Amino acid sequence: MNGFIRLTFISTIWTYLLIFLGGLVRVSGAGLGCPDWPKCFGHWIPPTNVGQLPPEMDPSQFNFALAWIEYINRLAGMTLGLLIAATAIYALIKYRKVPGIVIPAVLAALLTAYQGWQGGQVVASELKPLLVSAHLVIALIIISLMVYTAINAFRHENRGFNPASEASKLKPWVFGLWLVAMTQVAFGAGIRGGLETLGHQFPLAKPFELLSKVGMITHIHYFIGAVLLVIAIFLGPRILKADSTKSPLVRQSAKGIIHLAITQIIIGIALVIAGIPQLLQLFHLWFASLFIGITIMLYSSLKFQKEAAS
Amino acid sequence: MNQKHANFPNIMWVIGALIILFGITAFFVIKWANVSRENIPIYGTLPEFQFTERSGEPFGLNEMRGKINVVDFFFSNCHGPCPIMNGNIRQLYDLYESSDRIQFVSISVDPARDTLMRLQEYAQELGITDFRWLFLWAPIDSVADLMENGFMLAAEDLPGGHTVQFVLVDNRGRIRGYYSGIDDAEVELLQEHIRIIGRELP
Repeated sequence: MNGFIRLTFISTIWTYLLIFLGGLVRVSGAGLGCPDWPKCFGHWIPPTNVGQLPPEMDPSQFNFALAWIEYINRLAGMTLGLLIAATAIYALIKYRKVPGIVIPAVLAALLTAYQGWQGGQVVASELKPLLVSAHLVIALIIISLMVYTAINAFRHENRGFNPASEASKLKPWVFGLWLVAMTQVAFGAGIRGGLETLGHQFPLAKPFELLSKVGMITHIHYFIGAVLLVIAIFLGPRILKADSTKSPLVRQSAKGIIHLAITQIIIGIALVIAGIPQLLQLFHLWFASLFIGITIMLYSSLKFQKEAAS
Repeated sequence: MNQKHANFPNIMWVIGALIILFGITAFFVIKWANVSRENIPIYGTLPEFQFTERSGEPFGLNEMRGKINVVDFFFSNCHGPCPIMNGNIRQLYDLYESSDRIQFVSISVDPARDTLMRLQEYAQELGITDFRWLFLWAPIDSVADLMENGFMLAAEDLPGGHTVQFVLVDNRGRIRGYYSGIDDAEVELLQEHIRIIGRELP
């Protein structure tokens, strides 16, 4: 691994950490832990007790735990901003002539900057469900761009080595899988938003009562979930079989997709049965983001082989 | 040939390790957040009392048990803060329309004028027809006694000087919070606390 690949790799891992933290903010209800943005209760480091609040701030809003959970998400976000900016600059210097690297790297950096600002809008809107969902979808596009950049850089550094493989024909299917998975996440976020809104309307209702009120969107989510599982189970083994080069990258990601699809269905069912517990919700979301990233990883590794075949 | 492949690290191990680490951390963070939010103090337990509801039915601590109660003090002739307080209760009353787990209890501090008949009229004027919102009558001495020794609120200069606090009483007759009935932010906090206490209900 050269320096650039290492940097994109670290940025990608950090993005996953951030998606996890963002999900954690969401499920722990810390989204308004800091009611202002970018500062927290008027400070760059959140106050430790109510006495430090500026007089115009409502003390009943202050909760030490929630403020710090939200603030750590912001700090990690700022760090990611720096990491991805460094990646983009590195790409502009080193891979100026390789569009497959420089374009996704720069796009990811721009999108991350936008994401930081958009996060402020989420707070300003007092967590409007549509904006919260958009925040998640943008994060998933960033992760896809990062993985794409990393694999392309890896492929570029190994361009002397071009195995041919039948598996590359299945590439459009993998991209289709990515699209369906993104849609699925959007629907999942929609359910979460619906639960939130209904929770305000029926504050004393139990989770499963709320879930039954969310309506059509839950059924669509269940249906697409089943579709994703079927595609993954059919596509994964086919790719493994067709990949004559036995590329570990392809093998790992094809297996990863199958395992994650199955895991997600199990977690999804568990969520419904157990009344949407927070920790499961968090992992459902995070595994979805892993699924998205690994799908792109598989897609770009297959692209690698396609070029070899031609 | 395979040596080239081996350059790429085995991501599955990284992911596996992260999942375990993150899971444990998240478990404690979520717990921390929940505890921090659900830390609603218990100020005390109400003593037994026996008042009369506008319908003529007796109403006491027993009738409060099993439900979340929002209690306030008022008198029908009050034109100062009472309309604002009633407006705020009304908002909660509408919000919890579909729930039988919560009730609103308004206690008159002017029993001489607020007869049961007057309380019935008063409820009608507010458009309250069901018994999710209750209006209580008792002799002034009993009311003052319950205010001071039960609710731990001042009972001076009644009726005009009555408190504007809403008192949150849980399903076991325990006082869980005081919220100014004329301050929107505090009413919102009350709502949040109702939701949290609601989770403790069987």
